Amino acid sequence: MSSIDSIGERKIVTFSLGNQMFGIEMSALIEIREWEEPTPLPRVPSYIKGVTNLRGTVIPVVGLAERLGWEPSAIHARSCILVVSIAGKQAGFLVDEVADIVLIKDGDIQPSPDVDISEEGVISGLVQISARTTEGVSAHESAEMVSLLDLNALSLTRQLDLAA
Amino acid sequence: MSDELDEIQAIFFEECAEGLATAEAGLSAMAAGDVSANVIAGVFRAVHSIKGGSGAFGHTALTAFSHRFENVLDEVRAERIPATPGVTKVMLAAFDILSDHVAFAQGTAPLPDDAAALQALENVLANKGASDAATPAASPAAPQPLAAAPDEDEFGFTPVQAAVEEFDPFGFEPVGVALEDLETSAPAAWTVRFRPSREALANASEPLLVLRELEELGGTIASVDSSTLPGLRDLDPEDGYLTWALSLPGTVEESAISEAFDFVAPDSLVEIVRSVESVAAPVVAEQQPIVADSIEEVAPRSAAVVPITGSTLAPVSAAPATTPDPRPTERAVEQPAQTIRVDLTKLDLLLNLVGELVIRNSILSDRLSPKDQERVELPELARLTREIQDNVMSLRAQPIKQAFSRVPRMLRDLSAETGKQYLLETSGEATEVDKGVIEKIGDPLTHMIRNACDHGIESAEERLAKGKPAVGTIRLSAEQRGARIFVRVADDGRGIDRQRVLAKAIDKGIVSAEATLSNEEIDQLICAPGFSTAETISNISGRGVGMDVVRSNVEALGGRVEISSVPGEGTTFTMILPLTLAILDGMIVRLADQRFVLPLANVVEAVRPESGQVRRMSPTTEVIELRGNYLPVRRLTDTFGFGSKYRRDPEESLVIIVESESAGNVGLMVDTIDDRREVVIKSLDQNLHPIRGLGGATILGDGSIALILDIEALVASPTSTSKFAMKGLAA
Repeated sequence: MSSIDSIGERKIVTFSLGNQMFGIEMSALIEIREWEEPTPLPRVPSYIKGVTNLRGTVIPVVGLAERLGWEPSAIHARSCILVVSIAGKQAGFLVDEVADIVLIKDGDIQPSPDVDISEEGVISGLVQISARTTEGVSAHESAEMVSLLDLNALSLTRQLDLAA
Repeated sequence: MSDELDEIQAIFFEECAEGLATAEAGLSAMAAGDVSANVIAGVFRAVHSIKGGSGAFGHTALTAFSHRFENVLDEVRAERIPATPGVTKVMLAAFDILSDHVAFAQGTAPLPDDAAALQALENVLANKGASDAATPAASPAAPQPLAAAPDEDEFGFTPVQAAVEEFDPFGFEPVGVALEDLETSAPAAWTVRFRPSREALANASEPLLVLRELEELGGTIASVDSSTLPGLRDLDPEDGYLTWALSLPGTVEESAISEAFDFVAPDSLVEIVRSVESVAAPVVAEQQPIVADSIEEVAPRSAAVVPITGSTLAPVSAAPATTPDPRPTERAVEQPAQTIRVDLTKLDLLLNLVGELVIRNSILSDRLSPKDQERVELPELARLTREIQDNVMSLRAQPIKQAFSRVPRMLRDLSAETGKQYLLETSGEATEVDKGVIEKIGDPLTHMIRNACDHGIESAEERLAKGKPAVGTIRLSAEQRGARIFVRVADDGRGIDRQRVLAKAIDKGIVSAEATLSNEEIDQLICAPGFSTAETISNISGRGVGMDVVRSNVEALGGRVEISSVPGEGTTFTMILPLTLAILDGMIVRLADQRFVLPLANVVEAVRPESGQVRRMSPTTEVIELRGNYLPVRRLTDTFGFGSKYRRDPEESLVIIVESESAGNVGLMVDTIDDRREVVIKSLDQNLHPIRGLGGATILGDGSIALILDIEALVASPTSTSKFAMKGLAA
């Protein structure tokens, strides 16, 4: 089910990695869990922190910051795992803090400028969101830049296939 | 759209598989001498439904072949062709081709050459057709409930009433004239009664099309019986309530009439009878049935109306009871469904959740004192949970018959290839095994049977010379012992020629020439990779991949293969398999502060090395000396790259000796052994990707995850030394 409806709005979940704000489509989110040390896996890229037990299903836990090329996140009291569904597979993303759920208009999404990031297409767009508002988008002075992530581009299977 | 079609087509192929299994079981029963009507009808129905579905999906070759096959079956069913062993044999051959046609339609096999089988079928038809021509003329008045034959118990028929109904004053048939003729030469007119079932309507079988087809044959609708029509409030628009009675000229072929009903669901009422009574009934009686008919029609209706107008809500089902129903069984046709199709992933999800429930249960019992456990009735909850788990597991279980069912066909093919005769004896087909196991033992079973037929059973002359019956016996059996399934393939052939096997193994460098091996060890050699004793490479076995494939497949399932052989008397291969793939008997070991599960099936022994027992052979390889033999040792900390901080001295570690197919016995160095228990296997690739060296993961009692080691992948690392030279003595 997509959160994009006929009037061109979508709900996103925003969270922080270091000082950066990111957002993913609400529709991909399954749940938010407290951080729990996962079981490490041998022979996987370092951004795969291991596997954890999601109600009887074994899901991988990914250090999202590391995955996106930032410094690995340090674990602290607010660290949590966003459990998402990507192309039918489930994965947990380690993030520093979950910020908000906001409604944005499609028209407010700017395509990401052609910057030199390690991987193309991971960031699908940028949007400005005023801090701590659920009332939609407004470009106040307190507005923050949120990078929208393209989850399909983050698919683990794809990455591991390339790595294998 | 095409996805939807694919889905429907997938269901069709599932039904084909079921149909083929039914047909084969029926034909086998016929070959064994059971030619009772319901057996034959079962085969007919199976082939018929394959034909029906194949037509809908445009598999023309399959449709064409099944149609010809069905023609013969139809004749056999109607007893116009006796089910002699010869006819059964032709049909068995035709069945094999039919299976091939299905495989072709599915895209898994090439188009079979069906010319010979078709010719054989045509011959059966032609020969019997000639001698049969006189039969209908000889007893023209005898009612022949043709289409009803397979469903005799379901549809009785009522010749009197049906015959009378036929005299509809509005019918166009010159009935009076025809009657004159009938008494002398022409066959009696047909009376056809038809009521589409609920299922037929649900399958979009349009009754109108059937009626039109019958009209084209010259039929007229004599009457419509609406007596079962309930009141409007209770009317289910998706059910069938009307019964049409039609009359058709007696000159129409019976088969032409029954063909009109080809694609009507089998639980619909279809009666095709010769109007016997019409011959004898005086024409004066013409008016009476109509009166009778209308009375009958009115009675149930008014009965049905009562509850609507009345204040009490009497169930309408009372209505039929008020009318004397000449065919009570007709109503019982709508049986409750016996089986339902369930998507396997749904079952797996259920199994997953139940596994989780079991784990939560054990967490509770870990945390509560025995007294508290009693107080909250935890033991009872645990028992219930176990029971649920067993039941959910049993949902995945299927009789092993499914895996055995392709064996008779295989033996027929092998017999044709080798010229040897085989007798198959099976037992324990009802043994239930996890569906996943059944799917995976097909190949090993094929190899074992081919091996037995090719290498085990001698030629007829050789057998007779030894005083054995000319026909070799293959015994296929299955039984459950505890949590294991034993599947045996036994032959009464020549047994394993150990001298030859050993010579060959030495020749191929599989064992060293000095090795002294026990008989059992020599027998096991035939499962070694690259071993084949066949002097000529035959189509059947002897490519040198047969038995080691059996062993590796079975071991991949967490099972093992045992071989026992008595020279001159035969060989028995036993596959010992786990009951389910979802549960593994494991040894929980600790390594680098993490827990891992070693499949117990691979574990030979655990050794605490003494100083100097583990030695370095090269900078990267170590060996352990065990009772005079040297076995390679793997440090899992290195294999998994856990880093040097977890490295321990061998004296502080345990070496678990595991058995592997590709590298023989190998020692794995771990820190300690924690426990031994059954674990539920969770796949890693469901959400991630298969990881080399890991067979999956499991969730332990405390909710944490332990990784399951894949022994074969672990020991077969590139650094592994050539094993068999070393193995020779170690085995």
